[in-house]
Amino acid sequence: MTSPLASVALFHLGPVPITAGVVATWVIMAVLVIGSILISRHLSLVPSKTQAFFELIVDTVDGQIRDTMRLEPAPYRAFVGTLFIFIFVANWSSLIPGVEPPTAHIETDAALALLVFIAVVWFGIRASGIRGYLSTFASPNPIMIPLNFIESLTRTFSLLVRLFGNVMSGVFVIGIVLSLAGLLVPIPLMALDLLTGAVQAYIFAILAMVFIAGAIGEAKPIPNTPSQRMPP
Amino acid sequence: MTISWWTLGIQTVNVVILIWLLGRFFWRPVAAMIEQRRATAQRIVAEAEAKRSEATVALAEIERTRDGLARERETILAEAHEAAERERATRLAEAEKEARALEDAMKATIAKEKQAIDKAWAERASRLAIDIAERLAARLDGPAVRAAFLDWLVKEIRALPTPARQAAAAEGVTLEATSATALVPADQDRYREQIGAALGAHPQIVFKEDRTLIAGLELQGPHFVVSNSWRADLTKILSGLTHDNRA
Repeated sequence: MTSPLASVALFHLGPVPITAGVVATWVIMAVLVIGSILISRHLSLVPSKTQAFFELIVDTVDGQIRDTMRLEPAPYRAFVGTLFIFIFVANWSSLIPGVEPPTAHIETDAALALLVFIAVVWFGIRASGIRGYLSTFASPNPIMIPLNFIESLTRTFSLLVRLFGNVMSGVFVIGIVLSLAGLLVPIPLMALDLLTGAVQAYIFAILAMVFIAGAIGEAKPIPNTPSQRMPP
Repeated sequence: MTISWWTLGIQTVNVVILIWLLGRFFWRPVAAMIEQRRATAQRIVAEAEAKRSEATVALAEIERTRDGLARERETILAEAHEAAERERATRLAEAEKEARALEDAMKATIAKEKQAIDKAWAERASRLAIDIAERLAARLDGPAVRAAFLDWLVKEIRALPTPARQAAAAEGVTLEATSATALVPADQDRYREQIGAALGAHPQIVFKEDRTLIAGLELQGPHFVVSNSWRADLTKILSGLTHDNRA
C-alpha cells in the first residue's frame, strides 16, 4: 500500500511530475466541466428533473452565501460553490476502486487553502481598497496587527490541515483495515469516510465564506426583495 | 512528508481553471436561468395583477355604463312618450282643424248647391207659371182684348212727355205697330186714327204681326218703344220673380 503522505509521480512532463492526485483532479475537472456544458445547453424556463436538481444546488449555495456572508451571492458563487463541489466530488471519488482522492494529498489541500487565502485578500481589497483591507488588521487596535496577521496565516493553515487530516486519515484507516481484515469490513468505515468527506467539503466552503466575509468587513445589507438583488 | 511544489502549483492552477470553467458553464447559466424564471414569474404575476386591475376597472366602467344606459333608456322613453303625446295633440288639432275646414267647405258647398237648386226650382216654377199664363192669355186673344190693349197703348202714348210724342209724330217718321194677330184694314185704320189722336199728329204707321206677343199691341219708333203686350208683361213679371229669387 502506498502511503498517502507520499506523492508519487506517475510520469513527468519535462521537469513537472504528474502525480495520481493531479490526474484524478483532471478527470474530476473534465467530468464537472463536461457535465456543466451538457447541463447549460439544455436549460429552459420549464425545468426538467435534472435541471431542477442542479438549480437546487445553485439555490442552496446562494442561500448558504446569503446566510453566512450576509451578502449577495453572485460575486462569490463560482468560487465558493466550485470549492464545495470539487472537494465533495474529490472526497467521494474514493468510492471508485483504485482512485485516491486528490484531497488526500497535501498539495491539493494546500492549493485550495492558498486559493482561499488569495480570495480573502482579493475580495477584501476589492471591497474596501488596499488601505481599508490593511486597516482590518489593526482592528480593534494596532496592537492586534501581528496577531491578526498571524491569524490570517494560521487559519489558512488550519483549513489545509483540517481537510488534509480528515481525508487522509480516512483513506489511511480504510487502507489499514482493508489490508488487515476482509473485503467487506471497511465498508462502514468507507460510509463514515463519505460522511466525513461531505462534511469537510461543507466546512471548507463555510470557512472560506466566513474568512471572505470577515475580510470584506462591514457586511452589505441584503435587499429585501429578489428584484433588488444583483443579476448573476 | 514532503510537499511537491510542482504539484501544488499545478493543483492551484487546476482549481483556478475549474473555478473559471464552472463559473462560465454552470454557476452563471443556471443562476441566470433561475433569475430569468423568477423575473418571468414576477412579470407574469405583475401582468396578471395589471389584467385583474384592468378587469376590475372595466367591470366598474361596465357597471357605470349599464346604470347610465338604464337612466338614458328611461330618459329616452320619457322623452319619446312626451314627444308622442305632443305629436298626437298636434295631429289631433290639425285633424280637427281640417275637419272643421272641410265641414265648413261642405256646408258652403251644400248651401251653394241648395241655393242653386232653389234658384233653379224658382226659375222653373216661374217659367212654368209664365207658360201657364201664356197659354191662358193665348185663349183670351179676342176683339175685347185687342180693344183693351189699344186703349192701354193710347194711354201709354198720352203719358209720354210732349217732346217725345212730338218727336214720334214728326214728319217723315214711320212708326211700326206690332200685334199678335194680323189686323184687318178697317182695324188698321181705326188703330191709326186713335194712335194719331194720342200723338197729336198722324204719322205713317206700318202694321206687323208677331205671334210671340201672345196678345197686345206694341208701337215702336226710331227713338222709342211702347211695350204693350202679354209677352212684355210676362217678361217683366218673370224678371221681377227672378230678381226676387236672386235677392
